[in-house]
Amino acid sequence: MSGMVNGTVARITFRATMGRKRALLFAIAPLILIAVAALLRLAHPEMHSWPAHYLGIFGFSVVLPLTALIIGTSVLGAEIDDGSIVHLLATPVRRSAVILTKFAVATALTMIFVALPALLAALIATGGITRLAVGVFAGALAGSVIYSAFFVTISVLTTRAIGVGLLYLLVWEGLLGNLVSGASELSIGQYSLGVANSIARDPGLNAHLTLTTAIVMGGAVIVATLALAIRALSGFSLRGDAV
Amino acid sequence: MPAETTSQGPADPAARSGVIHDLGYRRYDGPRLGRAQIGRALAWHSLRSAFGIGRGIKAKIVPMITFIIMCLPAVVNAVAVALSTSHARAIPYDTYLPGLRVLVMTVFIAVQAPELVSRDLRNHVLPLYFARPVRRPDYPLAKLAAFTAACLIMIEVPELLLYLGTIIQAHGGSAIWAETKALIPGLLVGLMWAVVLAAIGLALASFSGRRAYATGTIAVFFFLSWTLAGLLGSIVGHDRGPSLAAGAPAGAHLAGLISPFTVLDGVREWLGGSTDRGIVPDPGHYGPAYGLMLLVFLGAGAGALIARYRKAGMV
Amino acid sequence: MSTAMVQVRNVSLWYGNVVAINDISMSIGPGVTGLLGPNGAGKSTLLHMIAGFLLPSRGEVLVGGQPSWRNPGLFRAVGLVPEHPSVYSFLTGAEFVRATARLHQLPDPEGAARRAIGLVEMTGPQDRKIATYSKGMRQRIKVAAALVHDPEVILLDEPFNGMDPRQRLHLMDLLHSAAASGRTILFSSHILEEVERLSGTIQVMVSGRLAASGDFRAIRRLMTSRPHVFLVRSSDDRLLATALMGRPSVTGVELTPRGVQVRTSDYGTFTRELAGLSRDARIRLREVLPADESLESVFAYLIAS
Repeated sequence: MSGMVNGTVARITFRATMGRKRALLFAIAPLILIAVAALLRLAHPEMHSWPAHYLGIFGFSVVLPLTALIIGTSVLGAEIDDGSIVHLLATPVRRSAVILTKFAVATALTMIFVALPALLAALIATGGITRLAVGVFAGALAGSVIYSAFFVTISVLTTRAIGVGLLYLLVWEGLLGNLVSGASELSIGQYSLGVANSIARDPGLNAHLTLTTAIVMGGAVIVATLALAIRALSGFSLRGDAV
Repeated sequence: MPAETTSQGPADPAARSGVIHDLGYRRYDGPRLGRAQIGRALAWHSLRSAFGIGRGIKAKIVPMITFIIMCLPAVVNAVAVALSTSHARAIPYDTYLPGLRVLVMTVFIAVQAPELVSRDLRNHVLPLYFARPVRRPDYPLAKLAAFTAACLIMIEVPELLLYLGTIIQAHGGSAIWAETKALIPGLLVGLMWAVVLAAIGLALASFSGRRAYATGTIAVFFFLSWTLAGLLGSIVGHDRGPSLAAGAPAGAHLAGLISPFTVLDGVREWLGGSTDRGIVPDPGHYGPAYGLMLLVFLGAGAGALIARYRKAGMV
Repeated sequence: MSTAMVQVRNVSLWYGNVVAINDISMSIGPGVTGLLGPNGAGKSTLLHMIAGFLLPSRGEVLVGGQPSWRNPGLFRAVGLVPEHPSVYSFLTGAEFVRATARLHQLPDPEGAARRAIGLVEMTGPQDRKIATYSKGMRQRIKVAAALVHDPEVILLDEPFNGMDPRQRLHLMDLLHSAAASGRTILFSSHILEEVERLSGTIQVMVSGRLAASGDFRAIRRLMTSRPHVFLVRSSDDRLLATALMGRPSVTGVELTPRGVQVRTSDYGTFTRELAGLSRDARIRLREVLPADESLESVFAYLIAS
């Protein structure tokens, strides 16, 4: 058993994350995504490009990042917060295995709670298996992976991970992304849209990056953040109650 | 409590009947501060917590960053006004920069509201508060007052900076008076924002003792509803921009009702504010619906908050 | 000295202006060693450093010859029972110990878990969720998890907290038998009797410094060779005072309303002589009380010397 995914850790993480009321929180946004898509389809809006517009904004700017944030910060953050991580760390399990397992669980959960609903919403909105639907699915899958790596890492680095993550999402990606032109290369949301757009080829998605850029930058983010997380967890300090 | 002074030493075997020694304990029979003072103290302490004051450096990160970002446009405006020839203010008072205000306030409320209410729940300190001579609603009302004040600071200080940055360059009393007249509605809109958002934020946060969960709930509610409102408005109204013609379908006008931010803006427009800058299309005939929705949000928020703390077995 | 599993060499730890651990060196070998000290002395901090969860600002901590920092492999031979009360409360006791066994890559996790749970007498409640456990039960299940891989070194941070007397005795027996088979056991406590009853060797920590170390009885004797004050009540205090003043082991005598206050520099000699002295003078002793036996005064004395 080397530094790869550890089954026991995965099982515990899965149970810990799904067992709490938090699971409700990840389900709400995707359900709304699907429901509104269905409502809009029934309403037949005049705007013909509405599926790309709707999926691009609501799917990729809201549902994907927020759900990934909540899932990503809770797979490790909850244990660190209440101190029960010490029981995991007091075993010879390699820290890389812990991080990679948490990352894998976060990615899998995000794919289930976001990418699948996004596909469903896209199928409903476009009325079938269109380029847009497939593109949205691919983009959501890519986004699940990259966001999970990012948020798991933040939760090792700080106890206020969800606040920092929210600052990143709303201020950096939301606000500055529209104002500063170079920010697209540093926005995980844009990487996801880049992947989506490479298949969908729909200007309504508002993607600014090519597939190559998206994959290269996204890959770099994944590798860099996970390496940082492993390093941080290896040197994780538990002070005990004396100080 | 009767106190007996005794000079019997510990070695005396006759001390089996038990004595209460006078250690100098004195009852306090003087004037005591009442409920109002307790409420004030709690509110003041909570206001400080809302900005991380009195806690470590990490608690100040989000409040400081969000506050600075809120003030940045005012600062930029001051510079622009100084440099331009017309000395005209670039940013309106009543809407400020709508997108920025929405996003930054969402982060601020999502992260700081739990600091005020979720911490007390998690650490089970509520019995300590309620063992004092306070009534049940005092605690949530003090928290609400404090958080409303915090949101007011976040919203109005940038407005005032905007004002100051502009009037520094203004010539003559009439120009200053004109600026002041424009400022007042802006301040009133800000007050509306603070009151409603604080109530909703605290109400949502009070349902969980875990800060991360509360933050997630608030972020999802505010961000999701706002984005959806804007999306639905633009899709149903066929993306004709903020100034919709009266012939736009009802759905486009009503889409704004699902989000507190758009409702606030709708009420602003209904009460005479300009309709070409806001984040919702002009509510038109549906203005009263927005006004009603505002009251619903406010009432539901404050009501849920107060009801939350009414349960007797609140540990 | 080279057989000692745990070696702490000139270790100091500071956070900004606060010095939590101040130049401590110790060598912990097989048997039970008690880490004794008042709250805030740094016992938890030291244990966490030995477990590799804190990096010393200076000095080194070696377990089995290897530094403990960034070395999760050391847990193959080390078991830790942390003080922090939180455990995965959504798991049952049995699931928690089994999962720990799997994380240790044991060949028979279920069997090892069963044995460990049996050792701490938690076989009955093992299938209930940990959330339903009392504090003492939580402690015991943590001990089971720490012992499941049969480690050579066992670190326990305030393990008797929350245990009733019977559970306490049981855990002490457990640790005794583990130590008898050559294991190295280090546990921390601020309660003198626990340490007294369990360990032969103690390390006394006060304010981040090591105040005393070695065999408990030897330290006791060292502690007893400091000046002592006794309060004696007798049938004739004045006569007793006169007789005592003639003794070389007595350095001072004072008549107080509560009895004779005797200052002695030689505890052993004085206590032996007192009985004979009063018998010879036909004085009946009613009460002999040590007047300064508080732990703080003991610690203060140890620090000062």
